[in-house]
Amino acid sequence: MARVGVFVCFCGANIADFVDVPTVVEEAKKIREVKFAVDYKYMCSDPGQQMIRDAIVQYRLTSIVVAACSPRMHEKTFRKALSDAGMNPYLLEVANIREHSSWVHQKDKKAATEKAGDLVRMAVAKSIANEQLHEISVPVTKRALVIGGGIAGIQAALDIADAHIPVTLVERSPSIGGRMAQLDETFPTLDCSQCILTPKMVDVASHPYIELIPYSEVIELNGYVGNYKAKIRKKASYVNFKTCTGCGTCWQKCPVKVPNEYNMGIDKRKAIYTPFPQAVPNKPVIDAEHCTYLLKGKCGICAKFCEKGSIDFKMQDEVIEREIGAVVVATGYDLWDATPYEEYGVGRYKDIINSLEFERMVSANGPTGGLPIRPSDGKVPKTVVFIKCVGSRDKAKGIEFCSKICCMYTAKHAILLHHKVHDSRAYIFYMDIRAAGKGYEEFVNRAQVETGAVYLRGRVSKIYQKGEKLMVRGEDGQLGREVEVEADLVVLATAIIPYKTNPALAQLLGISYDKYGYLSEAHPKLRPVETAKAGIFLAGCTQAPKDIPDTVAQASACAAKVCGLFAGDTMKKDPMISTVNNEFCSGCQNCVQVCPYQAIVTEEIPLGHGAREMRTVAKINEGVCQGCGSCVAVCRSMAINLAGFTDPQIINEIVAI
Amino acid sequence: MITLSYKGNNTFLEAVNKKSGSDVLECYQCGKCVSTCPVSNFMDFPPREIMQMIKLELKEEAQMANSTWFCLTCSACSGRCPREINIPAVMEAVRHLAIEENFHPDSKQVKNIRKFHEIFLAMIKRYGRNYELRMMAEFNIRTRNLFKDMHLAPTALLKGKIPLGVKSMKSAKAIKKMYEMAEKLEQLNK
Repeated sequence: MARVGVFVCFCGANIADFVDVPTVVEEAKKIREVKFAVDYKYMCSDPGQQMIRDAIVQYRLTSIVVAACSPRMHEKTFRKALSDAGMNPYLLEVANIREHSSWVHQKDKKAATEKAGDLVRMAVAKSIANEQLHEISVPVTKRALVIGGGIAGIQAALDIADAHIPVTLVERSPSIGGRMAQLDETFPTLDCSQCILTPKMVDVASHPYIELIPYSEVIELNGYVGNYKAKIRKKASYVNFKTCTGCGTCWQKCPVKVPNEYNMGIDKRKAIYTPFPQAVPNKPVIDAEHCTYLLKGKCGICAKFCEKGSIDFKMQDEVIEREIGAVVVATGYDLWDATPYEEYGVGRYKDIINSLEFERMVSANGPTGGLPIRPSDGKVPKTVVFIKCVGSRDKAKGIEFCSKICCMYTAKHAILLHHKVHDSRAYIFYMDIRAAGKGYEEFVNRAQVETGAVYLRGRVSKIYQKGEKLMVRGEDGQLGREVEVEADLVVLATAIIPYKTNPALAQLLGISYDKYGYLSEAHPKLRPVETAKAGIFLAGCTQAPKDIPDTVAQASACAAKVCGLFAGDTMKKDPMISTVNNEFCSGCQNCVQVCPYQAIVTEEIPLGHGAREMRTVAKINEGVCQGCGSCVAVCRSMAINLAGFTDPQIINEIVAI
Repeated sequence: MITLSYKGNNTFLEAVNKKSGSDVLECYQCGKCVSTCPVSNFMDFPPREIMQMIKLELKEEAQMANSTWFCLTCSACSGRCPREINIPAVMEAVRHLAIEENFHPDSKQVKNIRKFHEIFLAMIKRYGRNYELRMMAEFNIRTRNLFKDMHLAPTALLKGKIPLGVKSMKSAKAIKKMYEMAEKLEQLNK
């Protein structure tokens, strides 16, 4: 026979003002199984908890009902009180008479009291069917996988590795460094990007806890938090990195010229190449799409000149596997292609470039030696127009968000232009100047006052050619008049978008993404680095556009999350998860479809005892299951039960009202 | 339509900055000066727009605007300017440049304002302070509007708002000397 104790809380005035608490206690006492019922001003306080502990011993209670606030608030508190008294903590039921009664029925105390009584009756009935449950321990593989070797991935990998946790860093291109390696100087302090980034890149390569796998991609991820298995495809580099010294003879001799991605196609690289001189690892790879030997079987000049014999044209892609416990996704961003801006003549006029192209031009290690030039005639421009919000904040072009960093880097570009070409002027068409950040507003002022950059408020309506010049027409909103700038060069601050491979990656990782391809965080404010899938975290522009300080902060936050996850040898998990009764399972797999966590797989079991024929049943991975109950709801043969919310418990609740 | 391009330094901006001792580039176009200004309603281009014109080197337009002439130099704007620009000094600088280059509006209003300035300065030079009654009379004569505000005179005189004479000042000579020095300096600067 069940012996239930009921503890009703006043919650100061929160409950007591609108619910007659003593009446609820009296109602509870009328229930046959209730052997003890009491009220108290603050049940969550230590004296309140002591009342529970004492009553458990004194009245030999078999389950406890606490009628108080939301279980989200204090379920853990009261569970602990139960276990302190030597009782299984899962024999607790919380009747939420605050959020579900007193707060929402403030105008009718009588009805609120009645409802509170009903909630208590339901909780008592449910608690009678409660079973003893025990926390699940899940073993943890203490290795993190970081996808993407830009500044986000580098920072996350270094922070995790510094905690002596092994990291596998996978980078798609031949070198780590990402977008930041392409930048010249960085706002708001104008530190040289290379100077602050390359030491970190070298740290990654030399860190004993980091395994760097460049020129490769993650192609599969299975398992669950703490126990993932990743498959990584190492693309054939055709160069034996073990023997290659990176001397550079091969790329000097290679006759094939290909547009250089690192320099945004402004100059050419060879078919065998390292992306840039400070690359990590500083070993060349052969671009199979352009190598004459790999395409036609002729040439092979690089192999002939390589003293170490490191060129291996027979090299194949290789798939390697790693067992990991957590994933940090840091795939970065791309620039939106501005071709839809036909009114600007994008693609028609050579002297319209995007901001990364400008960045490469003014970069000290750039293709023009740090001087901006007009692509059409190679002349140094004097009048440069910068157009912000190209794509961004343009619903008609399909992008509604603000790309966040353009205001700042455009101010930086104006300053850099002034540094590189003293007799020049920047005209900046803007919609708003969004300079929220430490030292940012001051930086924009610096662009305006020190370099005399002219800010014109308005969107450019069209660009047309007139002789050598590009005529940029817009409105100066400050004077309310049409203006036309005779520009030598036009730089478009095009929208920041995620890599086009993001949706495919999200699908293989089993995480969600938005309509633009940005990966979705679990909660926009309170869980900004976690995804809805446990053990997968987001850093940098893969989640939303952000600048370097924000990216580094988020990457370090990811590292803290990973380290927290790996703090013990096993992870404790709530036992309230689903289980399948194979006897009843018809193998319809509806549950597989609805499970938002991909926790349900199928397995083959013998049709009957000792039978040879097999049948399919659902199998729930207890490491992945979060106990949401979706599978229980769709299971038409009632084969799935959710611990803590079993059918008898729910039916008891219904019967009680 | 305003056509813009880089044609060397913005000399207009440089001249205004030098004369006013303020940097017009500091202006971030918030418009607080406009809403503060007691006479901006009467201006064709309020102070904020004058600032933008200086930035864009729209020299002729700035000089032809009546705003710099209408400015009372009350300094309410500069007292509230978040960028600490001395706006009346900027307005004055534009006005002075306009006078130097003899390129300014020749509307009746602006002509009258110039006359008012001239008479006022002459009064100070002569008496060391303003001789109000004489100033009004001279202004009415020179603007050929003899009876302007005349209906206010009896009440103002009876209530002692306008003294009939002007008290002599000890420092009147010193002020005269200041005028002479200022004129010499002006000659030197030319």
